[in-house]
Amino acid sequence: MSGILNWILWLPFLGILGVLLIPKQKESAIRWWSVFVTAVTFVLCLVLYKNHDQADPMMQFVVSHPWITQFNIFYKLGIDGISLPMVVINGLLFLICSISSFDVKKNLKGYYALLLALQGSVFGVFMALDFFLFYVFWEVMLLPMFFLIGVWGGENREYAAIKFFLYTFFGSILMLIGIIALYFAAEGQLGAQTFDMVTLMGGHFTDLKVTIFGSEFSFEKIFFLFMFVGFAIKVPIFPFHTWLPHAHVQAPTAVSVILAGVLLKMGTYGFMRISYPIFPTAAHYYADMIAWLGLINVIYGALCAMAQTDVKKLIAYSSVSHMGYVMMGIAAMTSEGMNGAVLQMFNHGTSTAMMFLLIGILYERSHHRWIVRPDGSKGFGGLYTQMPKYSIIFIIGMFASLGLPGLSGFISEALVFLGIYQKYTTIAVLALIGLLIGAAYLLWMFKRMFFGEVNEDCKGYSDANGREIFYMTPLAIMVIVFGIYPSPLLDMMKSSVGKLVIDLAKFAN
Amino acid sequence: MGINFLATLSHYIPELMAIVTMMGLLFVEACFKNNERNRLYLYLVAGIGLLFTFWSLGAALSTKPLFIFTNSVTIDPFSTLIKMIMVLGCAGAIYLSADSEDIYSNLKAEFAIMAVGVLVGGMLLASANNLLTLYLGIETLSILSYVMSSLKKKDDRSSEAGLKYVLYGGVASGIMLFGMSHIFGALGTINFSEMILLLNSSDAGQTGILLVSFLFVFVGLGYKIACVPFHMWTPDVYEGSPIPVTTFFAIVPKMAGIAALVRITMGLFGEEQTILQISWVGVIQVAAALTMIVGNVSAIAQKSVKRMLAYSSIGHAGFMLLGVVVVDQTGASAIAFYGITYLFMTLVAFFITGYVSDHYGNDHFERFNGLIHRYPVMSIMMIITMISLAGIPPMSGFVAKFNILAAAVKKGYFTLAIIGGINSVVSLYYYLKIVRLMVFKPVESEEAIAGFGMRNHVVVIGLSIPVVALGIFWSSILGLTSGAHLLLP
Repeated sequence: MSGILNWILWLPFLGILGVLLIPKQKESAIRWWSVFVTAVTFVLCLVLYKNHDQADPMMQFVVSHPWITQFNIFYKLGIDGISLPMVVINGLLFLICSISSFDVKKNLKGYYALLLALQGSVFGVFMALDFFLFYVFWEVMLLPMFFLIGVWGGENREYAAIKFFLYTFFGSILMLIGIIALYFAAEGQLGAQTFDMVTLMGGHFTDLKVTIFGSEFSFEKIFFLFMFVGFAIKVPIFPFHTWLPHAHVQAPTAVSVILAGVLLKMGTYGFMRISYPIFPTAAHYYADMIAWLGLINVIYGALCAMAQTDVKKLIAYSSVSHMGYVMMGIAAMTSEGMNGAVLQMFNHGTSTAMMFLLIGILYERSHHRWIVRPDGSKGFGGLYTQMPKYSIIFIIGMFASLGLPGLSGFISEALVFLGIYQKYTTIAVLALIGLLIGAAYLLWMFKRMFFGEVNEDCKGYSDANGREIFYMTPLAIMVIVFGIYPSPLLDMMKSSVGKLVIDLAKFAN
Repeated sequence: MGINFLATLSHYIPELMAIVTMMGLLFVEACFKNNERNRLYLYLVAGIGLLFTFWSLGAALSTKPLFIFTNSVTIDPFSTLIKMIMVLGCAGAIYLSADSEDIYSNLKAEFAIMAVGVLVGGMLLASANNLLTLYLGIETLSILSYVMSSLKKKDDRSSEAGLKYVLYGGVASGIMLFGMSHIFGALGTINFSEMILLLNSSDAGQTGILLVSFLFVFVGLGYKIACVPFHMWTPDVYEGSPIPVTTFFAIVPKMAGIAALVRITMGLFGEEQTILQISWVGVIQVAAALTMIVGNVSAIAQKSVKRMLAYSSIGHAGFMLLGVVVVDQTGASAIAFYGITYLFMTLVAFFITGYVSDHYGNDHFERFNGLIHRYPVMSIMMIITMISLAGIPPMSGFVAKFNILAAAVKKGYFTLAIIGGINSVVSLYYYLKIVRLMVFKPVESEEAIAGFGMRNHVVVIGLSIPVVALGIFWSSILGLTSGAHLLLP
């Protein structure tokens, strides 16, 4: 059992070898091979979930080998209740994406190789317990993303790919300097230079001072900000969100799904795994700022979504809005807030993945995504009569992301509100506006696309086919089941999140 | 003196090897007719000679560091490692010249001879321990470089490059010599070992003169490293010179200059916090920041790949200067590591650019359009190299930058580290430009590129392996570089 993380992490990379060995002409062999690899990986993720001891808040399944002895760098992996949901959803979404990508025609071999590379590196981010290793995976992930958007994307793909790459790289460079500073600071505070995240956790740097730009700062407060920029760009937190709409709109469907479903969570995961446990004093110091930024995300993202005429861009902005809830939940630092945040990370992963997949299915038929075309005419209309099965799945996905009680989005948002209300009543009340706008833009979009007169070009759109229904069903079931019975998820994360909350509370002033 | 010169000479075998290689090349050039078959002998001699030089350097790595020739030359692991980098760089440039159409076939022998000659100068510079050997090294390096840059006689730009180089170089070494003469005037010695004692006890009046004089010395070295504001010649010379020459310039003189700068900084301006020390390190700090910013920002707007690589090499020099600023062994080791990775990355980038530009007659960015569809292997190697140059893991360029940043952060140079980091982001933009053109654009023409034959595929792949491998398994090389101690005067 101890080596299971190794298998999950490296299977996708091994899968790449297989993809490269299959001749170019055998397209379906490449497709099925990728499905096979991601399926095996997902099964391993489930095995991991089964064997995970939910009562134990510490790191489990730890693998540790020395890598670079001179710098005390270890190849160290491990998961706890916070990273496990992310690992599972990463396994699931990539499996679904390899099935949904059967429509991809252009250079299949490269596409699947990059998709698998992306999956492997994202696993690495969620499993790494060594800061250096974490950083390596964090960066490696950018390369497949860059090529996936740049080669298989929409019209403006080059611009989107470069913007995505540069933005994230900028954030991570500051993070790298922070990591190095931590490494050297550990010698004074802990007795040895180390990149080990678990060792660094626990607020060892509270009293440390550091001189930057000629003036003295608190070590925690300044390097919290360094890390903050790195993670905030990924989340994305306003005002670092401008890369996201471009990347989402231009990316191929599967990549949008991964981007919204998993990659954005890397940012919030970074806050929970790194920023908060390592810099607890600074976490309290900046809590107000983060809570307000979360609120801005919720309302600003929702308002932007409302203004969109491109349905994919609309969902992209709704992601900005939904990630705001996660940030608010984290900033609250209460048990409900934190649990809600992790739950929201998981639930947003399923519901937004549904939305992007559904838009992808529609795009296959329409080859455009305009709700209202630039010339003012309707892009879609009366889809419900044309595509009834599709519409039903759409309704489930839409109401899940809207936060309708009974579906998964409601539970996590309610928990976040419970958490934030205890500390920031004003923000909680204001965030309700965001919830309201959220309902408004989604319902309005639905009305314009699915009701009313059937648009001329919408006639003859075929309904969702068997394969499409096949890969949408698990997500739809999850959205409903976890809306009614979220305990499996909450049990999984409870003890680790609880420990984090208790650890943080020690440093409250 | 009573020093047994013959005994110390045994420590100078690598340099002697290089000189013998040069003479062997001269012999082949003079005695054999210039044709295809005889040129094979030429490269055989060059190859064997450089191999032995490299091998003897490798053997010298483990010997005890010492001063030879009455304290004028230092043999220590740091200089030996830098010399090994230079030898490989020289060999790479000579290999590239064999196929390159940029070097006229009747001048290929001359190119090899001069390259080895510059190498000898560079080796002297890297282990110079007094002002005289320093100057000798720089001049040997420079004079042959001037000729090399104008080797493409019929090309106006190459002649222009040569003239520019000689003018700038002449002025720079003049200023340097002027500074040296004042140092000698003030201290009465040219030997670093004696200078260090006098420097610490110099009075205020002397400090003023020394400050200016050392600044002048820095001008000479800065010009070799191509650090801002002495970089003006670099883009024109790099662009005008034939590609093998550019490759050579990007590695050998640069590494030699950096090695000399490290030695002077650590030797003369070590731990002691004097006015001289603070100003010297301060000057290098400013130079490092400016070099990174100017190099990387200027590279963005370039239309020629060679010129872009020229500016990017300025940016990399700035990053290496960050390691000089640290003034300790970690900095020197980080520079050695950077040098090793920089060597391989530069070779791959210039090799591929060279083959493409040979085929089309120019090296505009558009020539790379859709290259991946025709030459996937070569393009992937180029992508790996570009990503590595930008400093993205898991490539070796990242580890090199990590080492330098670690050395800087350890000493508390956060501002410089941040400037360095942000420059990596800037550099990513123009490196991605090539990647973007190669991968995202449609194929421009279906013609086969002659340079991308089987043999060159093997060579480029071979050179790319360290670019990746050193990013993942860098423990062993780190052992080598962290053992690269300087023998301080």
